Amino acid sequence: MSQPQTAADQGLSSCHTCLKLADSALHHCPRCDSVMHKRKSDSLQRTLTLLITATILYIPANILPIMYTDQLAKTTGSTIIGGVVLLIKLGSIPIAAIIFIASVMVPVGKLLMMYYLCWTVARGSLGSERQRTVMYRITEFIGKWSMIDVFVVAILVALVHLSGIIVFRPGIAALAFACVVMVTMVAAESFDTRTFWDNMEKQDD
Amino acid sequence: MSPASSIPSAAGSAVQNDEPGAPTERSFSDPRIACPSCDLVFNVANLADGATARCSRCGQFLTQRRDDALDRVAAYSSAALVMLAIGCAFPFMKFSRAGLENTMTLPQTVMELWYNNMPWLAVIVAAFILLIPGLVAVGMLALSTTLSRGRNPEWLPRLGSFIFHVQNWSMVEVFFVGVLVSLVKIAKLATVVLGLSFWAYAVFTILFTLAITSLDKFQCWQTIERLQSR
Repeated sequence: MSQPQTAADQGLSSCHTCLKLADSALHHCPRCDSVMHKRKSDSLQRTLTLLITATILYIPANILPIMYTDQLAKTTGSTIIGGVVLLIKLGSIPIAAIIFIASVMVPVGKLLMMYYLCWTVARGSLGSERQRTVMYRITEFIGKWSMIDVFVVAILVALVHLSGIIVFRPGIAALAFACVVMVTMVAAESFDTRTFWDNMEKQDD
Repeated sequence: MSPASSIPSAAGSAVQNDEPGAPTERSFSDPRIACPSCDLVFNVANLADGATARCSRCGQFLTQRRDDALDRVAAYSSAALVMLAIGCAFPFMKFSRAGLENTMTLPQTVMELWYNNMPWLAVIVAAFILLIPGLVAVGMLALSTTLSRGRNPEWLPRLGSFIFHVQNWSMVEVFFVGVLVSLVKIAKLATVVLGLSFWAYAVFTILFTLAITSLDKFQCWQTIERLQSR
């Protein structure tokens, strides 16, 4: 009974750009000339570094105002959570839910799941490889949806601009939040789920 | 999209098939693919038109063969570009209150951030909703028309890597949900009228997504390799 074989077992590497299977000894892909790696390099260290960066950036993103409202000669700043609370008070429960899910649950959930996956790799966990791969795919898919709130700010700032009556201005938290989203996206790209399966095969031998 | 998951029954063990098989049209290029999630190797030479291959071990999507894929990509991406041009040129939304009104265009979402001393945020938003989607659409149109005419210019692999690297960073659909959220958010503040560009960008979002999903990474590179080896 022949065991299913991985590319690495056969001394092959899969090009991350064009999926070409080529000899692992090659430095460049014979088809698209990208740099070849058997596995993403230093994936655990890179992912963890980026996750910590994103976690730190998430603090100013939440405590500083994401948008200012100039109305009746008065300026009010609103944070992400403040915006959600205001929407609930105004009775827009569905919109409050969308903003809460996109700006709080998705980024926090993504960070926690990625930390968990890194932890399982670091301690060499075995079992549930498939579940962990699916969990990674979820974090990869939901990542960019956190940008909703940043886009809402960009649209409102451009649209609501009636000098002397009501003007919306962007706050620094919008930039911090956009950085959180980008850094977590790069963190997900740096992570290599093949390490789960490599650990499993090592155990089988 | 065919939901059929049709890995050849030999699935994981098909890897021994190293010697070239019957000389078919597709045997110019290596028909094996390693799962990007778990590294298992599959032979997808016998994938039928319209069928999708998934990894039998981790469920990862591998590739979908569609013989008219390049025509679809060309059609969707050229139509998408027309919609994006309309989306940038005309009013997107109009906001009015107490007899005053303000019209907003798509490029203004970027420019207003710039004028409000947030140049970096302006660059980020411009990249995600206009520059990356626009460049990827132009790139997909160039790639698909070049490939279906059987040409193999030396810049083709570079264009291919650009498209497949950058396409994850397009956020047109996220932006569109943001537009809908903003609409509801300010509906109580004033009257908002939707402009021509709003509808054009909505159509652009759909066409762009269709173009991206029609362009299969593995099949596309197999086609490039077949042209290179001629």
